[in-house]
Amino acid sequence: MVTKEEISSYIESIPPPPLIVQRTLEFVRNGDLIRAAKCAEEEPALKLYLKILVNRPIYGFRNEVQDVSQIFGILGLSTAQQILYNYLLTLLAPKKWKLFTLNNPKFYDLQASLSRKWEKILRHLNLLTHDHESAISLLPASIIVCDALFGDHKQEVEQLRSVKALDYNTILFRLSKQTLFDICGLIAQKWEMSPTISRIVHAASGQDQAITPEEELLAKWMHLLLFYELSQSIYVEAGLNEFIEFQIEFVQDIYESFMQVVGAE
Amino acid sequence: MRATVKGRVAVFHPQGFLDGNNAPSFLTLEDIKATEALNIDMLLVSLKKVIFFNRNGLDVFIRLLLSIRNQKHIAVGLCDYDSTKYKAINTFYGENLNFSLFRSEKIAELFTPTNKSDSKTVLLYNEDPSQRSAMAIELFDYGHNPIIAQSRKEFDEKKQNPDLYYAIIEETYLGLFGQKIATRVTGNAIIYTISNFLDNEIGSTFNISYHNNSLNVGFRLFIFDAYKVVSMNVHALNFFTKLASSAAEYNATICFVGLTFEKTPESFKNDLEDAGMLFYDNMDDILKNKELLHELGGSAAAASKHTRTLNKALVNELPHFIDATVSTIAMMTNAQATKESMNVQTLEIKNSENQFASSIGFYGDIDGMIILIFPKDIAKKACELLIGETTEDEEAILDSLAEFVNIIGGRAKALLAEKKHRVDITLPRTYANVDALMEMAQNKKGVQVNLSFEGSRFVFFLTR
Repeated sequence: MVTKEEISSYIESIPPPPLIVQRTLEFVRNGDLIRAAKCAEEEPALKLYLKILVNRPIYGFRNEVQDVSQIFGILGLSTAQQILYNYLLTLLAPKKWKLFTLNNPKFYDLQASLSRKWEKILRHLNLLTHDHESAISLLPASIIVCDALFGDHKQEVEQLRSVKALDYNTILFRLSKQTLFDICGLIAQKWEMSPTISRIVHAASGQDQAITPEEELLAKWMHLLLFYELSQSIYVEAGLNEFIEFQIEFVQDIYESFMQVVGAE
Repeated sequence: MRATVKGRVAVFHPQGFLDGNNAPSFLTLEDIKATEALNIDMLLVSLKKVIFFNRNGLDVFIRLLLSIRNQKHIAVGLCDYDSTKYKAINTFYGENLNFSLFRSEKIAELFTPTNKSDSKTVLLYNEDPSQRSAMAIELFDYGHNPIIAQSRKEFDEKKQNPDLYYAIIEETYLGLFGQKIATRVTGNAIIYTISNFLDNEIGSTFNISYHNNSLNVGFRLFIFDAYKVVSMNVHALNFFTKLASSAAEYNATICFVGLTFEKTPESFKNDLEDAGMLFYDNMDDILKNKELLHELGGSAAAASKHTRTLNKALVNELPHFIDATVSTIAMMTNAQATKESMNVQTLEIKNSENQFASSIGFYGDIDGMIILIFPKDIAKKACELLIGETTEDEEAILDSLAEFVNIIGGRAKALLAEKKHRVDITLPRTYANVDALMEMAQNKKGVQVNLSFEGSRFVFFLTR
């Protein structure tokens, strides 16, 4: 089963952000969208990703958006930062998913759907900041990490789960004293993401104690949003419904508001 | 999604939202086939981690449950809900509620046979008197001690002392229950409760696989509690005669208690006696008579006079069984167990104190039993992944040890299937005291493999 050595070697294998993405992010953080767009133009893969993402139906544009500066203009500073982080995450996504029945377009759809709904939630909560908005980008890293660590142990996990309903996060913690969310934190550190992002995503596991009331509120909404998305047929079929434990008590008090904000779509 | 199996109860654990759109995605064709192949007495869907569900979503699971109930005559239903969910389920299904509802998995387990002989005291209330009685009868038949509150007021008063009860049963409903003959374990005897008129239906209501399992893991005394039997016909007679013949192969004893012959032909009694069945008027005539109990094979798990010898087919598969054990330990602990020695012998344990044991039987193309004996610390270490926390709770460790042996049994079954050997595995048995195991296994010859794990020794024993 997964060993501490496998986890260390996985963390070591995570690449640093490509230079162009680092520079683009820096321009975005400094509020210079024009130079950010120019910089992003230099990286064809990033340019293509932005075009494909923004033209997904969930963004609702009637005409195809082609130009990177136009894309950044439409997205605004906060969303541009979030989408650059989303792009970074795609670099971590496996070419072939082993544990979950996923492919990269399905994963991008999940990223896009989470991002759009998260923005709506932050507006509702009146907590829309750059870091809060970007926090949702890191959340799917837990899925990538889970697939990477457990992909070669699928059969063993199935045998274990045939006698006890254990989620991957719990299995990992019991084996290594590290959770998928701890590893997400390490990725965030490696990519120099703000510690706020890391803390919110960690708390979204629903199991953190020492967090501020604001982080707790965001974590609850993020946890419920994750399970709302993972309950969609496409992700249930992919096996994502069982990857972490749904902390129903953690989110019970925001359920009604959540359904009004997100469920009304 | 696959169901998790504990003992003879299988449970699906969906999470999040459950509606008509996504519910079919939880159950692929393979999942349905795998569920149909399970050897269980109860199939449930847990709503513990479901925050939203509607009728269409539940219906997808209910259809599967009912279809499996029709095939296998097992109990099916929903479990792990709160009062709000219970009300919602009742609103959705109302008068047409034809499956069971158990407030928790722990309550559901009380309504199924186990290998354990401890009787649980439970507090029970249901507004519907017929449900109250049905539950009380079932609980009693499964060997428990139900305290029935006759009114809400009495129930609320009694509920004030929760420590007096293993479980408090409310907001629970039995739908089309009693399709299987209730089974309980008392000491080392297995008691089946039969009632009314017995005809060829007994072939489907009697849990023959549980019975075979029990024979395989060493039970030798089987008692039919027949106080409530009115009469039986020739089909039931044939069934019992065949059962007696198969029991003879294991040197097991089958008794009837409380059976009257007012409406059953007296000649049936002679036929059953000829087949080896014994008749007693009262249960206490057996259970309270230690000498008789010993003679019938119910004093310890079968110090059988008739021992079955190791055969070539079983020894040929030994590497698979060792492989299954060693790889399961590696999976659960990320540490390697190594083989120290291997001999054909009777089971020999040095220093039987501070050891836990567990066994699991298998039957089919080949049959036999795997016995594992661990020092308590090693058992705890091996089960850490299942338990999740450091515990000194012996019952929790033994329960996890049973799950652990179940994984080994499952692995062995899969490895044998690759060689086209079809086998089924029995319920695992655990022993807090190795002496009890030794009484059952002392005369059995088998292959004893001494293994070393993190500096301690543990024993693997394969026998028939």
